[in-house]
Amino acid sequence: MLKYIINLSMGSLFSLFLISTPSFSKTLVTWWNWGNEGSDLAVTITEDIQNRFNASQDEIELKISFKGEDVNEPTRTALLAGAGPDIITSSGSTYVRAYYDGGFLKSMEEYSKKYGWNKQILPWAYNLGVFDGEFYSFPKNYESMVLFYNKTLFEENGWSIPQNLSEYESLAEKIKSMGMYPFAYGSSGWQPTHEHLVGNYFNTYVGPDNFYKALIGEKKWTDKEFVEALELLKKHMLDGYWSGSLENYYATDWDGFSAQFVNREAAMLPIGTWGFEIMQAFSDKSDDWAVSPLPIISKNGGNPNYQLSIGGTMSINASSENPDAAAKVIDWILSDKSRVLEFSAKRGYAEWLIPLAYEASDFEAGADPKVRDYLIDFAKVTGAGDYGYTTWTFYPAGAGTHIWKDMESVWANDITVTEFLTEQQKLWDEARNANQLIPIGKR
Amino acid sequence: MIKLFLKNMTPWYFLIPIIVIHFIVIAIPSILSLALCFTDWNGFGKINFIGLDNFYELFNDRVFKLAVWHNLIWTIFFLTVPISVALLGAFLLTGVKRFQLFYRFIFFFPFILASIVNCLIWKYLFHPKHGLGPFLENFGISLFTNSPLTQKETSLFAVGFVDAWHFWGFLVVIYITAMYQVDETLYEAAEIEGATKWQKFRFITFPMIRPTFVFSVLIIMIWSIPAFDYVYILTGGGPAYSSEVLANYLHFQAFRNMNVGYASAIGAMMFIYVFIVITIFGILRRLDWEI
Repeated sequence: MLKYIINLSMGSLFSLFLISTPSFSKTLVTWWNWGNEGSDLAVTITEDIQNRFNASQDEIELKISFKGEDVNEPTRTALLAGAGPDIITSSGSTYVRAYYDGGFLKSMEEYSKKYGWNKQILPWAYNLGVFDGEFYSFPKNYESMVLFYNKTLFEENGWSIPQNLSEYESLAEKIKSMGMYPFAYGSSGWQPTHEHLVGNYFNTYVGPDNFYKALIGEKKWTDKEFVEALELLKKHMLDGYWSGSLENYYATDWDGFSAQFVNREAAMLPIGTWGFEIMQAFSDKSDDWAVSPLPIISKNGGNPNYQLSIGGTMSINASSENPDAAAKVIDWILSDKSRVLEFSAKRGYAEWLIPLAYEASDFEAGADPKVRDYLIDFAKVTGAGDYGYTTWTFYPAGAGTHIWKDMESVWANDITVTEFLTEQQKLWDEARNANQLIPIGKR
Repeated sequence: MIKLFLKNMTPWYFLIPIIVIHFIVIAIPSILSLALCFTDWNGFGKINFIGLDNFYELFNDRVFKLAVWHNLIWTIFFLTVPISVALLGAFLLTGVKRFQLFYRFIFFFPFILASIVNCLIWKYLFHPKHGLGPFLENFGISLFTNSPLTQKETSLFAVGFVDAWHFWGFLVVIYITAMYQVDETLYEAAEIEGATKWQKFRFITFPMIRPTFVFSVLIIMIWSIPAFDYVYILTGGGPAYSSEVLANYLHFQAFRNMNVGYASAIGAMMFIYVFIVITIFGILRRLDWEI
C-alpha cells in the first residue's frame, strides 16, 4: 500500500513537472494595469496584448493583472515595500514624477536607443518621460481637448466655428436665443472637469506661447493675459454657456451632457478626445457630428492648436529582476502601429492610443474616417510644433489640484481671479524650488 | 501562587489573537501616521522632518478652518434632526401592533443600502432636469429649481440630509430595542394616573432609555468626525468648499495633492477631537453621571 502511495506521489510530481516545464523555462514579466478582472477592458487587454505577445515568442511569459479602477494605490504600496510588477502603469505625469523622485523607476535610456523608441514616440510625449537627461516613461494613451459640434445644426443655421472672441460670444448668444445651451458639459462625478475649461481658455485666449512661458517660469501666472482669461471664463460660466447655469453645470454628469449634445439640447461639446465614444450615439440620429480643434477666442484670433495630454504611462520597475524582458514586451507593443490602432479602435480610441506618428496606411480599412483624419492631423500639427498644453499633464501636484479645486471659489465670488492666480504662482514657485516640475519639452 | 497566576492569565490567552491583530492593523499604523505629521512626505520618496510646520500651516489654512466649522455643523445637525425623528419614530412604533416588523424593516432599509446607492438615488431626485424639482413644478410648486447639492448655501445640509436619511433607521432600531426593555407596569400605572402620551414619554420612556440615548449621542459625536463617503460621492466638498469636511479634505491632501504629511496632521487633529470627546464621557461616568 505504502509502495503504491509513493509511486502515485512520484508519478504526480513528475506529471506536474512536465506540465510546468514551459513556464519554468520562460522569463516571467508581470504588469499591473487598472480595470477589474473580468471587465471588457481586462478581457480585451488579456486577449490582444498578453495572449498575442505570449503566442509571438517562446522566451517570455507576460502576465497582466488588473488592480481595480485605481492602479496607483496598490502600485504605490508595493513599490514602497520594494516589490511591485516589472512593468508599472500610472495615471499620468505627476505619478511618474513622484515614482522617479522615490527612485522606483529604471532608466529606459539604453532600451530606447537600442530599440529606437526615441524615434517612434512623438517628441512631445517622449520628452514628458525624460528626467535629468534619461528616459523613464512613455504615455500609453494620449488625448487632446477638441470641439465636437452638431454639424447638421450648424449647416441648418449657417453657423461656422468661431475665429475670435466676438464671433465666439455672438454664436453663443444665437444658440441661447434658440433655447439651447452653447456647450454641453458638467462636472458632476468628476470635479477636476473644471480644469478642462481653465486649460481651454489658457490655450485659446492667452495662447500656447504664453502658456509655455508660464510653464517654464518665464512669465508669471498673475500676468494680465491669464487674469483676463479667467475673468472671461467666469463671465461665460455665469452666463450659462455650459449646461445653462453654473448650478446645472455642477449637477450634470457624463451621461447628462452626452444626452444634451446628442439630443440637440446643446450645440457643441468641448471635451477631450475620449469624447469620440459619445459620438457613437449619433448612429441612430438624423443629425451628424463633426470635430475640430478648439476655437481661438483671443480678440485677434490665431492658429487653432491641439493641446497635449496623456492618459496613463508605462515604465519599468527599478527593482525588476527582468528589466530586459520587460523592455522586450514594451518594444513588442511599440513596434507595430497597426496593432496599436487595431487595439485602440476596440476601446473607441479612448484608451491605448500610444502617441506614435500615425499615417493613413496604419489604419485598417474599416476605421472611422473622422477619427482617422483627426489622428493623422494631430500627428502632423503637433509634429510641426503647433500645440497647446493641458493642466493635468504639465502641472505639478499642488498647482494641478488647486487649478480645479479653487476655481469653484472664483466662480462663487469667494476669492478674486487675482487671488486665485497669486496662489497658483506660489504653488508653482514652491514646486520649482523643490525640483518637482514635470518635464516640459522645448517649444 | 504560580497556578493562581496562570489561572488569572487565562482570559488574556484568548485575547492575544485580537490584541496582536489590533496592534498590527490599528496601533502601528496610527503611531506611524502620528509620526508623519512632522514630515513633508508625499507618499513616495524621501521623508524630511519639518517639525510643527504642518500644524502652523493648518491653522492658517482657510479650507481646514471651514472644514472644522462644517464638521461642527454636521455634528449638531446629527445630534438634533435624526435623533429627534428617530425617537419619535421609535416611540410611535412601539404603539403599533400590526405590521410593526414591516415598518421597522422599511425604516432600517436605507441603512443596509450601500452609500453609493443612497447617493445616486438622491442625486437623481435632486437633479434640476429630471428630479423632484421639475416633477413638483407640474403642480405649480417651485421647490428645487436647482439641485441643493450644487448651491453653496444648501450643499452641506443637502448632503447631511441624505446621510441622515440612511442613518435614522439605525437609531430607530436601537431606540425601539431599548424601549421594549421598559417595564410595562410603569406605563400601566401612568395610564391609571391619567398621563398623556407625552408625559409617558417624558417621565418614563426617555429616562429608562437614557443609557441607550447617551450611547447614540456618543457614537454620533465620534462618527461625525470621519464623515466622508456621502460628501465625497455627492459633492466632493464643493461647490467652493461649501460642504468640505475634515475627512474629505484629508483624503484630498493625501491622495490628490500627494501631501501625506499634511494629511496626517489633519488626521491627528481629528484623533485629538475624538480623544477629548471620549475623555469627557469617561470623566462624567466617573462622576457617577448615569450615562
